[in-house]
Amino acid sequence: MQTVNIVLSGLGGQGILFMTKVLAQAALNKGLKTMGAETHGMAQRGGSVISHLRLGEVEGSLVRTGSAHFLLALEENEAYRNIPFLAKGGRLYANASPKSFARQEVKPYLDKMEIVYRAVPAEKIAAGLGTPMSSNLALLGFFSAFEKDLVTHKELRNAIDQVTPSRFKKINFKVFDAGFEMGTQ
Amino acid sequence: MMREEIFLGNGAVALGLLESGSQVVTSYPGTPSSEILPEVVRLIKSEGLNTYVEWSTNEKVALDNAFAAAVSGKRAACCMKQVGLNVAADSLMSAAYLGTVGGLVIVSCDDPGPHSSQTEQDTRLMARLAKVPVLDPSNPKEAREMARLAMELSEEFRIPVILRPAIRVCHARQALSWGPLKNNTKKASFEKDPGRWAATPRFRFILHGELNEKLKKIARRFEGLTAHNFHDLEPGKKYPLGIIAGGVPYSVIRDILLEKDRKDIPVLKIGTPYPFPEALADTFMSACEKVLVLEETDTVMEYFLRDRQKVLGRLSGHVPSEGELVPQIVYSLVDKVLKDLGLIPFKGDGNQDALDLVASLDLPVRRPTLCAGCPHRASFFAIRKARPKAIFTSDIGCYTLGLNLGGVDTCLDMGAAITMASGFYHSFDQDQVAQPIVATIGDSTFFHSGTAGLLNAVYNDARFILVILDNEITAMTGMQPTPGLGIRADGSKGKAISLERVVAGCGVDFVEVVDPYDIKAMTKLLKKATEYVNSSTGGIAVIIARHPCVIAYPKEAITERKSVMVTDDCTECSFCLERFECPALYHDEELGRTNINHSLCTQCGVCLQICPKGAIVEA
Repeated sequence: MQTVNIVLSGLGGQGILFMTKVLAQAALNKGLKTMGAETHGMAQRGGSVISHLRLGEVEGSLVRTGSAHFLLALEENEAYRNIPFLAKGGRLYANASPKSFARQEVKPYLDKMEIVYRAVPAEKIAAGLGTPMSSNLALLGFFSAFEKDLVTHKELRNAIDQVTPSRFKKINFKVFDAGFEMGTQ
Repeated sequence: MMREEIFLGNGAVALGLLESGSQVVTSYPGTPSSEILPEVVRLIKSEGLNTYVEWSTNEKVALDNAFAAAVSGKRAACCMKQVGLNVAADSLMSAAYLGTVGGLVIVSCDDPGPHSSQTEQDTRLMARLAKVPVLDPSNPKEAREMARLAMELSEEFRIPVILRPAIRVCHARQALSWGPLKNNTKKASFEKDPGRWAATPRFRFILHGELNEKLKKIARRFEGLTAHNFHDLEPGKKYPLGIIAGGVPYSVIRDILLEKDRKDIPVLKIGTPYPFPEALADTFMSACEKVLVLEETDTVMEYFLRDRQKVLGRLSGHVPSEGELVPQIVYSLVDKVLKDLGLIPFKGDGNQDALDLVASLDLPVRRPTLCAGCPHRASFFAIRKARPKAIFTSDIGCYTLGLNLGGVDTCLDMGAAITMASGFYHSFDQDQVAQPIVATIGDSTFFHSGTAGLLNAVYNDARFILVILDNEITAMTGMQPTPGLGIRADGSKGKAISLERVVAGCGVDFVEVVDPYDIKAMTKLLKKATEYVNSSTGGIAVIIARHPCVIAYPKEAITERKSVMVTDDCTECSFCLERFECPALYHDEELGRTNINHSLCTQCGVCLQICPKGAIVEA
């Protein structure tokens, strides 16, 4: 299979590492080779955080600008900041208001590059379920509603089951499913 | 039974170390190395191994301990970040001469970028300086294999061996298949041999000769180490350009050449930059008209390739001399070399128009900040309030972020909050200037490198206030226990070391403890400390600002939750945003005042004490 490059971005503390872990586990379950890169250390204290995930036969863990198939952003500005990673025809999923996303200035570029962009109020969904810090799961759920060819809702759900500590499972599934529902509407 | 599992690069290193039969693993945490020891602990618990593990108080202590284990015939490893190896350098240089009996692997993790370090220094240069072999893995899988190889080489040649994974190996994730691990049953023994283990300079000369002989033999071994040193030259074929690469840049260029289907550019991968496999490199060089060297972070291999006409790299200006060689940088620099040499360039320009677009958006720069509810924030606020004109010397840890609050003026190295404070004191005192100085250092950093500086400052009669920010954890690197906590690396109980007693033992007569959440109490204590520092019979005043880390101990840190709100008394003076800088406080354009982001607020209630207009109140 051709290499699939995924970039995940947000701010330190938003759960980028966890989101990467879920996607990587789901890919591993499907028998795909996985290679990822994470941000640890000082940036985790609220700075811009980015994860790379590559599926397929690769040596390196970093995605080159212009070669990502998917960009998942947990914060609107971090979505814009990482647009250069997207390849032509790539797809962008952001935790943002669907009404105002994307900013006018970037639309011509996204259109020119045939980049499909979708926003979901992931933080609102998570906050509504009493867990504002779980917007990562809402975004993943939303993503799974559109990208069945990469990974299905069920496959991602199984991966969440594998990597979530048991006391958080119930709430994680709830937020994940709510994101998925939002995507299927 | 073998099973497949996704490992963090540092986990892959841990796995390799245990597969090689490491009986002792020591470490001091530091990004990007911090997860190695916790991964060792996870694996020894799941596999029921009896490996001895410890968080040592610093990297030199860690290396000395592992060295003794290796001298007793065991297999030992010691893990740290690259600047930690500076602290352990004294030990490393000498250990290279003495050699080992068992195996000694030093894992020193580099941080090109830098992402979370004070320098971008290259561990391979330290290996060259110490004259010990160094292995440079390109990804987690190779890091695991090299951890095993390093241990075998070390034991066979009786020499410490360095494994140098860079941050993109340490924090990469890769699926590895692995199976049951077994205990190494080698027993400790020590044969007295003072001519070696306590060698005087005359014997050191002989040991140096021995070391040089070992390196020659190891270099010959590396010439044929095809698992990690290899090229894809076709026999007899000549090439206009070849690339010699090692470590992470090898994985980057290999992916690019494969993607672009560029079989016309051969690559020599070097996994053992020192001692350098020169004959292998000569073979490659003679098949290529020009050779581009890609390595992180400094020039090591490039210096070993002695043909200045042929070699392109940092010295010729083709490769940047600072920063990480991320894929887009490698892509552009190789593309430029191709164009310069009149060869077919890559297609595409790495999305320059997108990069320009993003630059034009003026996106807010997200600097790291202390967490909402962090006790250090309260400490810095009190310090600035009590001693606004002081020089604030500080140190390495989360609290370096006190920078954002104007509470940190200097950050040199581990322990320098104290040593720079005494240095400043004497510099000003010489001119009869009474310059106020407040030093801040974390508990773990104090245990690491604080005492020698404090002893020195007391002995030489320096005057300053030292605030030890005691959050009972090593927070920045991912919540490792400190000696103050009395919990050891494997979770077992150790003897808790009292900061108060250590400080008093350094000769300090003013040692007081305060909870920084009580800003008033801390400010008052700082004023009392100032009087003590300034009095003729006084000295150094040490305040231990003790409050648990809000991330490590959320329940203990915030015992009484206080919901806060901002009233219309707010005059938008921005005092709270600039001087307190809590992530949960923001300027609300619509309301025309400061507001609270409740999803970030930890309800610590500290901000109730800070507004000059009294506009932050309990809801």
